[in-house]
Amino acid sequence: MDEFTITEKKSGDLIILYLNGFLDAHTSSVLEKKFEELLSKKLYKVVVNFSGLSYISSAGLGVFMAYIETLRSNSGDIKLSNMSDKIYNIFDMLGFPILFNITKDESEAIVKFNETV
Amino acid sequence: MIKSSTGNLHLVRDFVEKKAAEMNIAQSVINQIIISVDEACTNVIKHTHKYNDHNEIEIEIEFKDNQFIVTLKYEGEAFDPTKKETPDMKEYFKKFKIGGLGIPIMKKSMDKIEFKHTKPNNNSLKLIKVI
Repeated sequence: MDEFTITEKKSGDLIILYLNGFLDAHTSSVLEKKFEELLSKKLYKVVVNFSGLSYISSAGLGVFMAYIETLRSNSGDIKLSNMSDKIYNIFDMLGFPILFNITKDESEAIVKFNETV
Repeated sequence: MIKSSTGNLHLVRDFVEKKAAEMNIAQSVINQIIISVDEACTNVIKHTHKYNDHNEIEIEIEFKDNQFIVTLKYEGEAFDPTKKETPDMKEYFKKFKIGGLGIPIMKKSMDKIEFKHTKPNNNSLKLIKVI
């Protein structure tokens, strides 16, 4: 079984990333590469669906911190959805919901993008 | 004992989870212990061992006096995480900073952290959770 994989869906200028497995100091570079790829394609509106993610450490949090400013400065954003309580607790521990838009469902995240367009 | 490589972090997490589950510790508390040990090992692998997997980290777990204690033993230069100042998160988010969150997560998740360096280059890092 793969330790960490990403599948994606494109809907107009919006990209939805589905994370699977665990996101730690070993696997976070996979997500970094994905964001680099999106930037190179000028895709700045990203929803990240966490439903398949079993674990995240600070290395994973760091990836979102690394790209949020660039995406927002290009009229985009990273919106996070479908987190288990376990994953949400890690985001919440250091106050990440202050900076990031975290929604219960993917559809809510998509609606929020449409509201701000 | 693991080789000092991020590819082994999931083995460390599995080991801690198994030991904590044997003690019937609540899952939410187990999750706090797991992430703390992960962050501590990640810092050793990255900063102390600089990703050189010829180094090793020994992980000991004991349960005494209602304390779940994880001890990491490893060789290398001394770095005491308890001395590291905790960042102001409002400032952190405002300036879109990156990194440096491993130690704050360890401090928030555990009740006590103890670091000891003995010459020439032996380190012991204890992560303690009161159960």
